[in-house]
Amino acid sequence: MASQGDYAVTSPSAILQKLCCKITGLPDDTVLPYYQLSLRIISSKFSPAIETDEFQVSEKIKRQLARKGREKDAALFSELHRKLKAQGVLHNRWAVLHLLMTLSDTGIKRQAAPSFDSSIFNKGLPAYATSTPFHPTIRANNLTLSGSTILSGGSSGISSINSGLTSSTTPVAQSFIPSNAVVSVQNNRHEDKSNQRQNVGTKSQTITLTNKNFESAVVPRTPGTVVSTQTPASRDKDNTSFEIPENELLKDLMFAFQGIEGRWIKFNSAKDGYRIEHQVGIPKSVRQLISKLTECGWLYNRTKSYITSWSSDKAFGLVGQSFCAALHQELAEYYRFITVMEAQVQHERDQGIGDVNGGLTLRRLAVWTFDPLVRLKVLAALVDVCKGKKGGALASAIYSYMQHGDPYVRSLIRHTLTMVFQPIYATLVRWIYDGELEDTYHEFFVASDPTVNNDKLWNDKYSLRKTMIPTCLSIEQARRILLTGKSINFLRQVCEDRTATTGREAAMDLDISQAETMFTQDVNSAFQQMIDTVYKETSRNLLDVFHSKYKFLDHLKAMRRYLLLGQGDFIRHLMDLLEEDLAKPASNLYLHNLTGILEMAIRATNAQYDDSDTLKRLDVRLLEVSPGDTGWDVFSLDYHVDGPIKTVFTPESMILYLRVFNFLWRAKRMEYILAMIWKNQISYAKSLKSIPELNKILHQCHILGAEMVHFIQQVQYYINFEVLECSWDELLTKVHEAEDLDHIIAAHQVFQDTVISRCLLDEKSRAILTQLRTIFDLIIQFQTAQRQFYESAELEVSFRDKFEKMKEKHTEEGDWAVTEVEVVEEQKRKDEFLNTVIPSTWAQLTVLSQSYQDMVQQFLVMLTCHPDVNLRFLSFRLDFNENYKARAPEQFNSPLMYQRTKRVR
Amino acid sequence: MPREIITLQLGQCGNQIGFEFWKQLCAEHGISPEGMLEDYATEGTDRKDVFFYQADDDHYIPRSVLLDLEPRVINTIMNSDYAKLYNPENVYLSKHGGGAGNNWASGYTQGEKLYEEVFDIIDREADGSDSLEGFVLCHSIAGGTGSGMGSYILERLNDRFPKKLIQTYSVFPNIEEVSDVVVQPYNSILTLKRLTQNADCVVVLDNTALNRIAADRLHIDTPTFGQVNQLVSTVMSTSTATLRYPGYMNNDLIGLIASLIPTPRLHFLMTGYTPLTTSSQVASVRKTTVLDVMRRLLQPKNMMVSTPVQRQANHCYISILNIIQGEVDPTQVHKSLQRIRERKLATFIPWGPASIQVALSRKSPYVQTSHRVSGLMLANHTSIVSLFERTLRQFDKLRKREAFMDQFKKERIFEDNLDEFDNSREVLQQLVDEYHAATTPGYLGWGTSQAAAST
Repeated sequence: MASQGDYAVTSPSAILQKLCCKITGLPDDTVLPYYQLSLRIISSKFSPAIETDEFQVSEKIKRQLARKGREKDAALFSELHRKLKAQGVLHNRWAVLHLLMTLSDTGIKRQAAPSFDSSIFNKGLPAYATSTPFHPTIRANNLTLSGSTILSGGSSGISSINSGLTSSTTPVAQSFIPSNAVVSVQNNRHEDKSNQRQNVGTKSQTITLTNKNFESAVVPRTPGTVVSTQTPASRDKDNTSFEIPENELLKDLMFAFQGIEGRWIKFNSAKDGYRIEHQVGIPKSVRQLISKLTECGWLYNRTKSYITSWSSDKAFGLVGQSFCAALHQELAEYYRFITVMEAQVQHERDQGIGDVNGGLTLRRLAVWTFDPLVRLKVLAALVDVCKGKKGGALASAIYSYMQHGDPYVRSLIRHTLTMVFQPIYATLVRWIYDGELEDTYHEFFVASDPTVNNDKLWNDKYSLRKTMIPTCLSIEQARRILLTGKSINFLRQVCEDRTATTGREAAMDLDISQAETMFTQDVNSAFQQMIDTVYKETSRNLLDVFHSKYKFLDHLKAMRRYLLLGQGDFIRHLMDLLEEDLAKPASNLYLHNLTGILEMAIRATNAQYDDSDTLKRLDVRLLEVSPGDTGWDVFSLDYHVDGPIKTVFTPESMILYLRVFNFLWRAKRMEYILAMIWKNQISYAKSLKSIPELNKILHQCHILGAEMVHFIQQVQYYINFEVLECSWDELLTKVHEAEDLDHIIAAHQVFQDTVISRCLLDEKSRAILTQLRTIFDLIIQFQTAQRQFYESAELEVSFRDKFEKMKEKHTEEGDWAVTEVEVVEEQKRKDEFLNTVIPSTWAQLTVLSQSYQDMVQQFLVMLTCHPDVNLRFLSFRLDFNENYKARAPEQFNSPLMYQRTKRVR
Repeated sequence: MPREIITLQLGQCGNQIGFEFWKQLCAEHGISPEGMLEDYATEGTDRKDVFFYQADDDHYIPRSVLLDLEPRVINTIMNSDYAKLYNPENVYLSKHGGGAGNNWASGYTQGEKLYEEVFDIIDREADGSDSLEGFVLCHSIAGGTGSGMGSYILERLNDRFPKKLIQTYSVFPNIEEVSDVVVQPYNSILTLKRLTQNADCVVVLDNTALNRIAADRLHIDTPTFGQVNQLVSTVMSTSTATLRYPGYMNNDLIGLIASLIPTPRLHFLMTGYTPLTTSSQVASVRKTTVLDVMRRLLQPKNMMVSTPVQRQANHCYISILNIIQGEVDPTQVHKSLQRIRERKLATFIPWGPASIQVALSRKSPYVQTSHRVSGLMLANHTSIVSLFERTLRQFDKLRKREAFMDQFKKERIFEDNLDEFDNSREVLQQLVDEYHAATTPGYLGWGTSQAAAST
């Protein structure tokens, strides 16, 4: 404005400096700040966002004049303006008009309120001292705030610009700092950049309006003008003289924002929202604006009611509480926003309604509420989705919003999640490091059943609450977490191992802020790493204790050696010793006798070198006696397990072992019987040589015996290799590879299942097993038949020997060797033997042999039809040289047979 | 201790292979030549008490009886490192020390004379065991002591211990080299009668085959007795491995041989072993798997019995037992069996079920071998009959000429007549017939036809 200086000045900047000196009255060297500021103002892009339309300006001036009651002046102005236009001398008439108008404005303002210049200066001055001259405010404020907003993740800033401003709003605003809300610095000169608002949170600070003048073009400055300029049309229609001043509406809105009904704005339950009462004369657009604005109130109410309804509920749990806390925080932010607004409204009101040219308007309010509205919407949505949920489920529900496309919403969700996950994380850390489960409200996804005692701690006590697993965790992770804590508890309570878990200190000084790693696993593997490390560590600890202190492998081997008859010499000897006892009816057995025998068998065989602890556990058990049972049916070895190993060798699995033992014991007995049959055959073949008539029966016995021996031997080989060795091998490999106890338990179960099913002990093989038992019975029958035959044959031999000896004796004595009568008698006996015993034995053996072969034949057919392919191993072994197939080829015509059996099934 | 086995070593050959056998057992069980347990072997879960007993001073003593009619071999043993191993009371040397002069009859007669003294030892040994399983006799069938005295002892053992098993390891003479013992066929046939009638299981060790294996497989031009005997001791120790290392099956001798011998007389077993290396051979380059081992065991060249191919007869396996030692994956066993069946590598009897039995046995941890898997086959094969037929033919040749009979006639058993020869020949012929019958399905009715013939 100072066009001419006293000195010869060449550059505009020099002129400006001069001007500054002039205005401030300061010497050259100290005026620098002001000079810089003015430079900035001038060089900034700022241009008044005002009407570039000459008509508009002139209208404004007229209106202003009219408002001040200077209608005459207005008319005069209008006249002059017309003339000016007609003259055409002045080209930038608009600029001139605008200048005039502004000048008139300034004159008024200077007296009433702090001028806009001064507000600029106020703002600029304090900031200058701290930071770079050209952008002092932003930097300075950012710095101060990021220091104080620790909890918030994002960069935050609250404009302390306001410190220079008049009203009391500033202290209020700063008292709300602890929120995470990202409050941005909004400088009036950066107003045009305000489209970057996404990055920033509530602009509750900026609403203190440093930019009164420059934004005003969009929203008219005063309530009066709002009505007049904006809604000229509706005004005609509305037909009401009564206009509520915007200030009033604003005040009401402040209430509505807090969910309180105001003077005009009431809650309309039919429309489920806040509305201005019907009778109140308000333009339609304003009504709409109001109802849009009041959405905040509605959303607020919703959130608030959720908080109030749940936070009082003690059973709601920690996760819910933290959720409420997070909501609270958000609401606090919102309150601050309202407070600032309110203060502004109040402030303007204090100054009087009419002459505020940069005050709060409905439209501005709509802009200011944009961000809070979004936040409230998200919160309300969360509240809706979380209704009735708690714990992990609640976290999952919130987590599902994590994938929201809007980064602004996402950051909000993220913050909420951080809060919500904190208690979960805390419980989790306690659990995996210390095995303690502090979960009064059943929110955690590991559940503990306090009624379960230590015996079943591993299997039954802890379980996963499927619904409570936050969706950001995989099932495998959840399993590992469960296992880790379980392992610690198992070690402590069952293994009585008190060594502190490593990393316990870590658990003690728990770093809650790490909770975030739980739900940001897609970008951060820290959580996975933590779980893995702790899981591996703990599991290894447990396995070490299991193997070293509790000698799991030794017990496993003991099972193999004793219950699965692996210690052959011992079993053999035991059978030798027990043979007599077990032939008795089961009811005549006495446990203490048997235990004595067991002791003897142990002492006499290599079992004696076994671990004394193992041997102590070995015991005899008699199964339930059903009528007609012999000792063989009820006898069983038993192995006592206790302590931690009982977790693997559960009572159920011990019963399975006993079943397998029973089966193996029977098979072993057959082997034993056949060995005796064979031995008898060998020795009687020599001693019965003297009666050649017996040869064919002996040969028949040999052939049948050999067939049986082959059968049983092959069954035994099958059991040994295909059943025990193979699955045992697998089991050992798995046990060595096992990472945690569950792996061992699973491997052991697989082992047992395999053994059970391959030993024909499962449901599917019932018929085959019965068939096998029948075959066993036939073997016993054969034993009896052969024994009877040998006995009578032996008797015959001894008679003949006696007769011969008698002959010799008589001859020696000089008598007749034998009398006629004696010869006849001898012959008679011989004949009787030859004619009765031999044919009957022959017949008996033929029948036996036939039915035996039929049974085996049938057994083989059943095996080939069995769904379990592994049983084919057995049929393969039993008929290795295809002898049975050759005997009855039609039965083994496989394709046909398969079809037939399938159809039957 | 249960299921003990007493070993009887007879004659020059018997004592030599017996000596090797005990050496091997000691090595496998970690027992020093003095009978003391080596320091490294104290943790063993092996069963030493089947073949050893412990003296009061804890040292292990073989359940072994050493018998000979001449002192040479036994003296060698008693001068070796292992002298202190044996119970000196169990070593019996005939007092006049003249030997049997390769004469069966002489050995038999001397056996009769020494009956009391010999059986004193055997009885004492038998009484010293809790539940004696049986006897193992080591001898040759061609010499004098092993065959003649062995025959006598076999008969007596049968009488005295009718319920005990008698297994023999019988060395058959080498037919490829001209023997200095001209009466070999006589000796053989007389011994074979006893082996047929009085033994329960005869493991045939054919010197012909052993020498061939030693020469071919081990690349030794003129194998020494020691080297051949090492083969024998390997066979003997492996075939008893399942008795000494208890497992699920085959923990006693009877279980082992019952399935091999379906009818009492067909009890002559062949053996095969692979891979064969002598201690001098450093390392074998081959990779040994279960299938490999089992397949090789079925090859005739690995059999320790030389059986010429007979075209007229369809010889077949009556039974097979493979004892596999080493690092074996149990799942491989089934696969190998399957392969063998598919390829029809073995022919079995047509009259009853038969198969290859496979027993896995632990290996001694104290004896290092260069191969991962090794296998012994015990097989009951009808082609063994060719050995007997050969003997019969040689016998008939001599017998026709009544050659070398004088020495025999001197002894009591042949004083009156030579019926014993004819009787022995008949027994052996019957055995040959039975083996031949066993190659046909008609064997099922074999007893009936025979009974019909005899009545």
